[in-house]
Amino acid sequence: MISESILEGDKVRLRPVEEGDLPQFVHWLADKEVTRWLANIGQPPTLEDEYEWWHDKRSDPDSVLWAIETDDGRLMGTTELRLTIRAERAELGIGIHDKTQWGKGLGTEVVRLVVDYAFEELNLNRVELTTDEENARAIRCYEKAGFVREGLLRQHRLVDGRFGNTLVMGVLRDEWQPLERRLDD
Amino acid sequence: MSITIPALLGEKVRLRPVAEADVPRLVRWFNTPDIRHWLHASERPDATLETVTDRFLRNWDNTAGVLWIIETLEGTPIGNLRLLDMDPHHRRCELAISIGEVAYLGRGYGTDAIQQSLRFAFNELGLRRVDLFTDADNERGIRCYEKCGFVREGLLRERRLRYGKPIDMLVMGVLVEDWQARTRD
Repeated sequence: MISESILEGDKVRLRPVEEGDLPQFVHWLADKEVTRWLANIGQPPTLEDEYEWWHDKRSDPDSVLWAIETDDGRLMGTTELRLTIRAERAELGIGIHDKTQWGKGLGTEVVRLVVDYAFEELNLNRVELTTDEENARAIRCYEKAGFVREGLLRQHRLVDGRFGNTLVMGVLRDEWQPLERRLDD
Repeated sequence: MSITIPALLGEKVRLRPVAEADVPRLVRWFNTPDIRHWLHASERPDATLETVTDRFLRNWDNTAGVLWIIETLEGTPIGNLRLLDMDPHHRRCELAISIGEVAYLGRGYGTDAIQQSLRFAFNELGLRRVDLFTDADNERGIRCYEKCGFVREGLLRERRLRYGKPIDMLVMGVLVEDWQARTRD
């Protein structure tokens, strides 16, 4: 489903994905530098592909999807929780597709907002994610947010004709520091 | 592209496609407490003819998965084996197996079934890697997976619930070269 909840951070804001966002995604996802780190994109998506994706997400009860924008309302990507309710867990996906926004710590804030939501609003027990072992910037961001390295899946993804490893990370509700508590520090 | 499911013959078992007549048997297996204990979906409500028909016959996506019934060479059905989330781009899939007849546990039937399915995945489907998730305390299962070439790759903390309590899971993987080295011996 498309989340109805708007999550406000200091530098980012998460809001529902709208149909009007899709052409911008198509534009960004045509860039190999952007899709380099995305496991599930083979060919750059067309507008029809993106429409189908958005349509599927809207009716998928096991997905919670947001658009990410800057505090001044500029769209920059998407983030998603893929739920397995019977196990009280979700998989986190995050894509900052506007590469002019990379390296500003915005991802860290997105991760914190979404994981807070997973534990406090959805009452989950675990949030996990997978990422390319070579994606040092993303891994740093996940570790800063509290994720722990749990496993390394060998030769798990084909990137530029080469099989690379996938890192699995997880964070549990017990060890999570909610946003407010951090701000008090 | 849908996958044509062949029957596979091993030394102790035969794998064959599922038939409508298997549904009551699958329901009985999934609801047997000692079997259900280990199922990822153990927290679901009891299986019924309806839910099993839906999941394994009506809505089975045969472009992404293969489902076999495991039989002894005498023709007694004893369990099921699935290849899931087939990914032709990254050339991998996930394997899930459950022996449903308690009397046949721990006697090498599962090992033989896995070996036949790996041969099919690597040689016929052209995959390079097979993933597997299992409960961290499933010693019998883990021993069998290791015998088949699977390697422990990570410990996923509190990844699912059993009787409402979180338990750890192990992620394992076997690469085509691990498997070839083993079958050459």
